[in-house]
Amino acid sequence: MTTSYRGSVWVMLTPAVALIGVFILLPMALTIWLSLQDWSTQTGFQTARFIGLDNFLEIFGTTSIGRDFKGAFVNTAIYTALSVILILPLSVGLGLLVYQRNVAGGNFLRAVLFSTYMVPMIAVALVWSKLYSPSEGPFNQMLGWIGLGGQPWLSSPGTALISIVFLNVWQQVGYFTVLVIAGLTQIPRSLYEAAWIDGAEPHQQFYAITLPLLRRTLLFSAVIAVINAVQVFEPVALITQGGPVGSTNVLTYHIRRVGIERAQGGLGSAMAVTLMLSLIIVIFALFAFARRKDEE
Amino acid sequence: MTATTNQAPTRGLIFRRVRPTGGDVIVATLMLVVVVASAFPLVWMVLSSFKTTAETMQVPPVWLPRSPSFDAYDKVAGVINVGRSMWNSLVIASVTTAGILLTSLMAGYAFAKYRFRGSNLLFALLIATMFLPPIVTLIPLYRIVGSLGLNASLGGVILPNLANAFGIFLMRQFIAGVPDDLIDAARVDGASELRILFSIVAPSVIPAIAALALFAFVYHWNSYLWPLTVLQGNSDQYPIVISLSRLLSYNRGAMNTGLVMAGATLAVLPPLVLFVFLQRFFVDSIVGSGVKG
Repeated sequence: MTTSYRGSVWVMLTPAVALIGVFILLPMALTIWLSLQDWSTQTGFQTARFIGLDNFLEIFGTTSIGRDFKGAFVNTAIYTALSVILILPLSVGLGLLVYQRNVAGGNFLRAVLFSTYMVPMIAVALVWSKLYSPSEGPFNQMLGWIGLGGQPWLSSPGTALISIVFLNVWQQVGYFTVLVIAGLTQIPRSLYEAAWIDGAEPHQQFYAITLPLLRRTLLFSAVIAVINAVQVFEPVALITQGGPVGSTNVLTYHIRRVGIERAQGGLGSAMAVTLMLSLIIVIFALFAFARRKDEE
Repeated sequence: MTATTNQAPTRGLIFRRVRPTGGDVIVATLMLVVVVASAFPLVWMVLSSFKTTAETMQVPPVWLPRSPSFDAYDKVAGVINVGRSMWNSLVIASVTTAGILLTSLMAGYAFAKYRFRGSNLLFALLIATMFLPPIVTLIPLYRIVGSLGLNASLGGVILPNLANAFGIFLMRQFIAGVPDDLIDAARVDGASELRILFSIVAPSVIPAIAALALFAFVYHWNSYLWPLTVLQGNSDQYPIVISLSRLLSYNRGAMNTGLVMAGATLAVLPPLVLFVFLQRFFVDSIVGSGVKG
């Protein structure tokens, strides 16, 4: 029996492994290799010339290349941190709201929340750019109703990045809410019943039972939210073009501009490697944080 | 409290006490706020697509179009080739989805039901790619696809996405639940492995296949970065999401609001309609894909 399907292993695995190998793993290895080369994206890989760590010195240096990259790096870090800080608590709150009413109303709410995740980011960006419009947009009109002054939103360096964070949170929070609901269903009912009998108040139940038992779900959510956040591209490419004055220049947009549009493949690859290393560090830090909490 | 202490709550309510409280009003209000906040941008989009140009430019903004018109949709059709763009999106999303289903079923079956040297290592390597943001591999990938002669073509958009780690992961999870006896019995009868996969294993995991198909279709209908990069301005091949950007550059400013909203409505419709009819599969597959607290 064992021998009869030995050959089939390779029949079954070859399509997926070959495709992922050629179109993801090979480019990954090439990105690392190219980060150490002087190479134009318009020429073949054989024209690459080894220059050691020069690309990295350049992107962390004091020239305009270094300034732009460091700006994009900081913007991406802020954008990512704000997204995660807003999405995680919101998803827990919304998850509890849906799960509390595990009936028709809850399912409807879950569907409405999740539906925004189906909307193409490009449409989200277009629609929100009009909602944010300082004069003809409804957001400033609504702020006026409650006696607040209008905001410049996407048109000012001080508010543009956070405005993009908001539209990202709006689009993604439903997905993370569904993850939280999945986590909540794993918590044994008996724990709440016992706490209830002991006279624990709702907020005590939340901190003593719900939050600790959601920790692994929240760790997973945080990792996914970080990976999603560094991919922000459409609102920047379409609406702000990195501006005003570089305030929304984020890494996915910047790396593509340098590596594809300006064809500086070596520099772009060094930026991509830096992004990947930073992601690995952040993800390890999240896991370490979760583990320390587990040991407490 | 003393009188009710012995009545443990039997319904699945986390915070709620047995008797309805004023908290219920707060909960209902919160739910309403959430629904309005989720739906508002999309409702605004549809409403604006039916406004006249004058209405979209009015300050303060007009909420409801006084005499709804299809003018904006007519204008969209004058700026971009809507039919062609929708067709390109459909080709990209459905061919990619078919490829992902095939490669994921095959690899998922191998990882779930075969024992072979290096199985865990290979699986881990593939799964790791799930956490790689596409920008990290974009530059060499662009060059590789170019050297295959596929730049500026739908083939170049589709080919690199025909297999992905999420699909393999999802299929392995679900195929692992198919009884070995069923597979062994077919082997005794002399069925080939491919035949076993497609006539016995696949029919047992239809819900997972449906979920993966929907996810893949919506993801690739919506995807922007890779098609934009590989199509290099060949607007004949643009999917609808990329054609939309041409509406924004048309008559830049408030003048194009209706146009942009009409275009966005057209692009949003297919994934949203799929979701409305099949939302159970989407949600269940997230819950079932192994995120177990």
